[in-house]
Amino acid sequence: MTDAAQSPGSEHLRCENIRVSFGGVVACDNLSLTVPRGKIIGLIGPNGAGKTTLFNVLTRFQEFDSGHIYYEGRQIDNSRPHHMVHMGLSRTFQNINLFGNQTTMKNIMTGAHNLMGDPFSAMFWLPGARKREKEAEDRALEIADMLHLVPELESIVGTLPYGYQKRVELARALASKPSILLLDEPVAGCNDEETAELKDLVFKVNRQMGVSVLLVEHDMSMVMQVCDYIYVINFGANLAEGTPEEVRKNPDVIAAYLGDEEDQA
Amino acid sequence: MAQITQTNGLFQQDDSARDRLNAVNACKRRFLRQDVTATLIVFAALVLVPQLPFVKGWMLSQASLAIIFIIAALGISILVGYTGLVSVGHGGFLAIGAYTSALLTKYYAVDLVVGIIAATLVSAFFGALLALVFLRLSGAFMAIGTLGFAFFVGTVVNNVPIFEGRDGILLDDNVVLGMEIGDFGFYYVSIVTLAVMTLFVYCIVNSGTGRAFMALRDSENAAMSSGVNRLLYRTLAFSISAGITGSAGALNAHIVNYVSAEVFADIWFSVDILMAVVVGGPALLFGPYLGGIFVVMLPFFLEELADFAFIMKGVVLILVLRFAQQGVGEVMFRPIQNYRRRKLMEAGGAKVD
Amino acid sequence: MLGQQILSGLATGSLYALTAIAVVVVFRNTRTINLAQGDFAMIGAFLGIVFLKDWGLNYYVTILLVVACCIVLGFGVERIIMRPIANSDWLTLFTTTIGIYYILHGVAGLFWGRDTKAFPLTFDPTPVDILGAVISQGHLYNMGWALAIGAVLYAFFNFTKQGVAMRALTDDPEAAYMMGIPVRFIVLLTWGLAGFIAGFVGILIAPIIYVSPEMMDEVLVKGYVAAVFGGLYSIQGAVIGALLIGVAENLAGGYIGSHVKTATAFVMIVVLLAFRPQGLIGIQKRREI
Repeated sequence: MTDAAQSPGSEHLRCENIRVSFGGVVACDNLSLTVPRGKIIGLIGPNGAGKTTLFNVLTRFQEFDSGHIYYEGRQIDNSRPHHMVHMGLSRTFQNINLFGNQTTMKNIMTGAHNLMGDPFSAMFWLPGARKREKEAEDRALEIADMLHLVPELESIVGTLPYGYQKRVELARALASKPSILLLDEPVAGCNDEETAELKDLVFKVNRQMGVSVLLVEHDMSMVMQVCDYIYVINFGANLAEGTPEEVRKNPDVIAAYLGDEEDQA
Repeated sequence: MAQITQTNGLFQQDDSARDRLNAVNACKRRFLRQDVTATLIVFAALVLVPQLPFVKGWMLSQASLAIIFIIAALGISILVGYTGLVSVGHGGFLAIGAYTSALLTKYYAVDLVVGIIAATLVSAFFGALLALVFLRLSGAFMAIGTLGFAFFVGTVVNNVPIFEGRDGILLDDNVVLGMEIGDFGFYYVSIVTLAVMTLFVYCIVNSGTGRAFMALRDSENAAMSSGVNRLLYRTLAFSISAGITGSAGALNAHIVNYVSAEVFADIWFSVDILMAVVVGGPALLFGPYLGGIFVVMLPFFLEELADFAFIMKGVVLILVLRFAQQGVGEVMFRPIQNYRRRKLMEAGGAKVD
Repeated sequence: MLGQQILSGLATGSLYALTAIAVVVVFRNTRTINLAQGDFAMIGAFLGIVFLKDWGLNYYVTILLVVACCIVLGFGVERIIMRPIANSDWLTLFTTTIGIYYILHGVAGLFWGRDTKAFPLTFDPTPVDILGAVISQGHLYNMGWALAIGAVLYAFFNFTKQGVAMRALTDDPEAAYMMGIPVRFIVLLTWGLAGFIAGFVGILIAPIIYVSPEMMDEVLVKGYVAAVFGGLYSIQGAVIGALLIGVAENLAGGYIGSHVKTATAFVMIVVLLAFRPQGLIGIQKRREI
């Protein structure tokens, strides 16, 4: 890996002309975006614009018809979802996906799976594995501390309030020491207080830990406040891109969102 | 919604993260303790069984059978309890283990210990092989596939000449480390095998590998996004499970020094092991102990009414699934856990409003 | 020789097909893989012996009574055991049917003993000649019945309100519920249908394989395998699968040796699943189960 690839602002994750269709319906058509290292990138669009589909393509949960995905300049079209974490890409889900009847601690520890080494030495408790296990515990605790989850470490996750669960999911995603974090509607369903808290957390993760972030979000105010750069998509195609200020003034974007509101009314 | 407004004081007494980790670990240890304690008590009782004055040879072989069932149930608990898969075909692995050890000891005169180890490895190998075919399927298909597997193994041992079908293979006396052992000796060989397998399961469940299994059980998506290779870990779980059950099969062949296709021809073994685990508590170390003893002891006490034992098993299984889906073991621990949780709340000062 | 093997394979296959249909219908309407399907038929076969031999009833009256009893058994199982846990995950549902399997085995053993019994009705051993292929009358008779039952089921699914509702429930349970289809009643009916089929299978198969508590295990496994051929959702697929299995195992038995007969189904399913994990026919919509 060259220094250029590591330097802030260089290309971290990029997709090119992604096309996805379900049966005859085209969900994504020639979508392209780039996440530079160390930046927070927003991906917005009206309902059904193909945000989540593209998101799932980038995390390899969704197959695509054509196009390419690059991670640090390497093509990763054929990677499987479980490869992503080992490269340094971690994700959360729109509707929370946690290990509901396990404790918070176990959830976060599972997030550190990529630090665990091979399964055989782990299950026979070989010395190296015990050492890595300790490291993973330390790591989990550090993250729990940062996300204010320590008091709930031994609680069963499924019984925690929604906002807590969102944070546990973020903690699980962070436990793998990612260099890029993909968040799918992190504040969907949260109240104002929880939204503000998560916004701070995203900032913290990005600025303190230097993690690049791709944020898919329906909540415009959140996106406008935290993102460095925004991609807008509509009907599965790129509509506009730019800084929050540029996007806010873009007539196409305004039209798309107004149309969306009319549809909903 | 109840929201915890004041943080739990237990973790906030210390500043450094390491101290808090210790507190958490202590907490975790106490949580595990009931399960492990109960298991150790039953294990100690099993160790003492042959010393009881009224235990005769026939009773001893029943006790050995109970141990064999516990081991097999431990094996299947890795699948059902921790990985969220199901197998209705573990009788097949029991058969593979039994015949591996039987053929090795008869024709190559190997030690019983070698026989058991070989049985474990061969079963694990076949488990991995089978997993590669069946793991691409969703749960329901897999259940059917494993059932087919049990029948397939039954047919093979019934018809391929080397297994001598229903006539069975008569084995020589058991030899361990060069010494001939009798019923008592065999019982203790079973006990040692049980100890090893229990420890093995404990180690797996409390390691990163076990966490990966449980992650796949609880949420495939979250597991994959945490980097868990679904196929690898499920194959591993299947293979471990088959291996442990295979060791039980080896013991089953040597318990009466006779192995025949008769017992493996139908699916009773498979179904009984599955039931033992479901009734006892699939995600507990103690569950297989409870279930294994239940499955073996019920017909033992209802000797004259074997059919009644079937009905009893069915009724118990249905009731457990209706009212205690985590198994009887979990129900036994529940009062202690509630008490502990209350204590912890009081100590920690968490307020729930 | 070949024609004969195929024909008697089809005869056995038609009984597998009936079992497979019951497995598929119960699975797609209730998410339950019914391990006790075979034992419904086993109980039916034992009842057949009771009615024919002990009560001295006419054969056709016996069939009617057996089928009625099995339908009641199906209703009872749904109402008492399955309904309270209807919303559980598939593993719980499946394991519960294992409980039913135990109970029915125990009941049969308790009342009628564990020994194999001969069914009091036997067919004329003189074979019949159809287009050069020779087939036993029993097989021919079973095939006739299976076809008739198949026709009845076809009519039920296509021309009756309940049958159409049942298919609607399969296609989209939520929409079915919204449209006011009485889901509970349809589920009850599903289990009744399973009993109906089991009653016929039991009484038809009894003269061929003798009666014992374990008599149906092998038939059930083949019914299962056949159901998987159709992806567990398709009745047509299950029927095709069952007939294929019947013919294939008969051919294997005839040309390779009788010892491979039972293993054929398993080999077939492994080969099939290795290449088409979604079943031979494939499922139109993939559902997580």
